[in-house]
Amino acid sequence: MAREDVGIILGGPQGAGVETSMMVLTRALARRGFGVIADREYFSNITGRHSYIHMLVSSRAIPRSLRYPVEIIASMDAETLFTHIDDVANGGYIVYDSGVASKRLEEIVSMEDITRVRVLEKLKKNGVASTVASVLKFLERDRDVKAIGLNFADLLRRLMNRYRIEVSSLSRYVSGIIVSAVAVLLGLDVEAIKYSLSIQFSSRRNIVEQNLELFKYVEESLQSYRNSIALEKPKHNFRKLMIVTGNDVVAMGKIVGGLRYQSYYPITPAADESFAIEKYEHLRAEKDIGSIVVIQTEDEISAICSAIGASLAGARSATVTSGPGFDLMVEGISWAGANEVPIVVTYYQRGGPSTGQPTRGSQSDLFNAIFAGHGEFARVVITSGDHVEAFYDSIEAFNIAERFQVPVIHLLDKFLANSIRTIPPPDLDSVKIVRGSISSGGKEYKRFDLGYIVSPRAFIGVDDTVMWYSGDEHDEYGHIVEDPENRVSMYSKRIKKLDLIASEVSRDMKLQVYGDRDLDYIIIGWGSVKGVVLDALELLYRKGFRGCYINVKLLWPFPSREVVEVLSKTDRDRIIAIEHSYNVQIADLVALSTSIKIEKKIAKFTGRPITLNELVDALQKLLTSETTHVVLTYGA
Amino acid sequence: MERRSYRTDLWIDWCPGCGNFGILTAVVRVFEELGLDPSKTVIVSGIGCSSKIPHFINVNGVHTLHGRAIPFAMGIKLANPELIVIVHGGDGDLLGIGAGHFVALGRRNIDVTVILHNNGVYGLTKGQASPTLPLNAKTKALVKPNIQQALNPIALALSSGYTFVARGYAFDGEHLKNIVKKAILHKGAAFIDVLQPCVTFNDIFTAEYYRKRIYRLEDNSSWNPIVEKPEDRTIKLLKAIEKSFEWGDRIPIGVFYQDTTVSTFEERILQRIKIYLEMSPAKSSIAEDGGRSVIDGKRFEEIFRDYIVDVEGTQQ
Ligand SMILES: Cc1ncc(C[n+]2csc(CCOP(=O)(O)OP(=O)(O)O)c2C)c(N)n1
Ligand code: SF4
Repeated sequence: MAREDVGIILGGPQGAGVETSMMVLTRALARRGFGVIADREYFSNITGRHSYIHMLVSSRAIPRSLRYPVEIIASMDAETLFTHIDDVANGGYIVYDSGVASKRLEEIVSMEDITRVRVLEKLKKNGVASTVASVLKFLERDRDVKAIGLNFADLLRRLMNRYRIEVSSLSRYVSGIIVSAVAVLLGLDVEAIKYSLSIQFSSRRNIVEQNLELFKYVEESLQSYRNSIALEKPKHNFRKLMIVTGNDVVAMGKIVGGLRYQSYYPITPAADESFAIEKYEHLRAEKDIGSIVVIQTEDEISAICSAIGASLAGARSATVTSGPGFDLMVEGISWAGANEVPIVVTYYQRGGPSTGQPTRGSQSDLFNAIFAGHGEFARVVITSGDHVEAFYDSIEAFNIAERFQVPVIHLLDKFLANSIRTIPPPDLDSVKIVRGSISSGGKEYKRFDLGYIVSPRAFIGVDDTVMWYSGDEHDEYGHIVEDPENRVSMYSKRIKKLDLIASEVSRDMKLQVYGDRDLDYIIIGWGSVKGVVLDALELLYRKGFRGCYINVKLLWPFPSREVVEVLSKTDRDRIIAIEHSYNVQIADLVALSTSIKIEKKIAKFTGRPITLNELVDALQKLLTSETTHVVLTYGA
Repeated sequence: MERRSYRTDLWIDWCPGCGNFGILTAVVRVFEELGLDPSKTVIVSGIGCSSKIPHFINVNGVHTLHGRAIPFAMGIKLANPELIVIVHGGDGDLLGIGAGHFVALGRRNIDVTVILHNNGVYGLTKGQASPTLPLNAKTKALVKPNIQQALNPIALALSSGYTFVARGYAFDGEHLKNIVKKAILHKGAAFIDVLQPCVTFNDIFTAEYYRKRIYRLEDNSSWNPIVEKPEDRTIKLLKAIEKSFEWGDRIPIGVFYQDTTVSTFEERILQRIKIYLEMSPAKSSIAEDGGRSVIDGKRFEEIFRDYIVDVEGTQQ
């Protein structure tokens, strides 16, 4: 029977090509119309530590969440098999290198000791010896798993002999074995793989050919497994799908939204976005469109300050960072607030405090984004629930910044940044560029004209116009003034923007409500938990629980009125807040802004994404018992 | 253009006799002589007594954060390379908190002029030791003698890559004016260390002190700081660095080094983005009438085709 979706893990040492395998597979699957979502988990390490891709292939164009267990584990090494021992489904498949069968857990030096001890205990409890072979035997017996050993060395030797490949470059083909094996299990045809390979290795035709040959070898060895896990026909009729990470999609949104200056200082998981943009520095399509200056600055302070400078001159400008870098930017954001400068900071959260877990995800910087900066001033914080939202929000971030002349923080996270999704190309007819109130200046120009809350903005460089800016309190011209009455009017003018924003930003940009209108329970959250919550709602609906999800998008100024409206549709004790943090800060933000106290919380702060299986369990527990707080921990 | 037009009518809140007045006068006179268009000229400053200068001059003024004038200036200049951008800051501002940016500007060689108001102290915070105050010096506001070494701004600028490096003296107006003029006309990152007596807090580096010691480099006819061809660069740099360590009985002012053989950052960008000057970030349009992005659906697919997969039948 064909399935709606298939979960897959591709595992191997960092740097060995796990990511390439994912890309090749994903593109081939997209070619045939399947949707893919894939999370990438890796250590803060360049080569050697265990990394893996956790993916879901689906007949939906955009699958929304990941779940355990998975139907296929494809491993490049022994470590994957030990680490993911609990992750394979009953009746699932494990593809492995038969050459590592005798490898013992104790020999795996790349594994952290603490993990090794935990896995050993697990094995001991089940009476399993600590070798790959015994683990696989255990899984075959206990969970009806089919372990498919491929002799990697043999396959590679055949390839080497045929193409006279250097021994030293053979390891590059291991990813090809993994891809081929998964493709065969899924029944994916060679033409789709060929299409994908020729894009992946566009400039190296011989590598495409060699990988196709490898595919043939693997296919021969796995004849009897072809199509063992068949997928349903895709349920959509998109003629095109994009394959994008969160970084990519934000880069695209910014470019479409008119970005002309992007500054950054390297930091995970933000830097890839700037790399993606840099490819388009000379922006053209049938005609020259403009130049985008992408600059790697000496630090984050320079990144924010130079972006503000570019904005003063009239360019839509942005900078991008994560927690530690944002902390350095705060003084600049306060300056932008004082000087009413439109500026966008794309803030990808990762695990803190400090350099905490540099390559893992979190949503623990909500308050940092909302409250960072000394003094009071208007700033906007928006967030996106998935890749599609992130595209449009990247454009809207500029629009909001310019309409209200405020700093806008677009708060995202590593899960979104590094995960891949297949999404349809955006609908650009629905996109609008709104530059707000622009002045052409003139002799009498006053940059901070008190006749307005948002004074018409002239760009530095406009003819016959001179203006001043100062971080000190200033008069309408921008000159320093300490007069108490001016202080009151200028200070209030800036802060009143928050009311203006609250009344003028569209409801859709403030929050979205998904699910039943007739409610048993409400979940409230923000950012990348959206997909998994929506899938959980659907599953629970089938079990008789009718709920809805409030996907908060405007985090500041908080849409209190709109949130209260929804929250009042159910009892207080049927409201659940969810977040990748310890404190579930969104609950505090709701309390602060609406005085509704949310008791029930789901938190995850392992740095790994929330998976459907654990979320459904947690929700059920919260809905059927007195439990108020669940901490999720699933994932390697 | 008439002299008044470059001065605002604001009250100048520097202490009477402060060296900053001399710098203000020199800069304004250069603007007059060059007839700079105030709307195309920008003064960017940090925080400190000296950094209040933009408010007194009738060109665009951006008074920023302590130490951060250079990055602000960089963003303005790179977004609109037509603008003439001049940075003012104190020694604390540019060489203490802002030292990283100071070095980075030299490496990039962006066409910006940096004017250091070097008074040996942190003026606005009441006289603490700045990075240019020598070890063991005890100015009157200090409780104890200075425990940190001074750095050499000229040598730092030279080794950071500034392609125009000079020193002026706040009360030698004519000389300073000529240097500022050269710096503004220079294509690339220009740095001027201006000796600026702080009459309130620095009782060592006073006008009296400088009057006895200062001499002009150009008075020696064999002094030629200009790099004419790249091969001369090292030797000229070494000479300039050596000269920059002359400090004591005799203090040189004038141009230490000028190199026009190094590409500016703007030229480097132009190599990569051919349309950079005609369609600079601030000058290229981002939307059509009615607010549609200049990137429509068709252009989107062309630009981002690497990300797009054409879906073709299923294998079922
Ligand atoms: C981040 C930060 N730290 C400290 C200050 C306080 N502060 C104001 S002016 C100043 C020093 C100014 O000294 P200098 O740059 O030498 O300029 P001067 O006043 O001597 O012209 C300091 C430390 C500040 N404004 N911002
Ligand atoms: S404190 Fe010194 S630097 Fe500041 S204004 Fe007074 S004399 Fe000038």
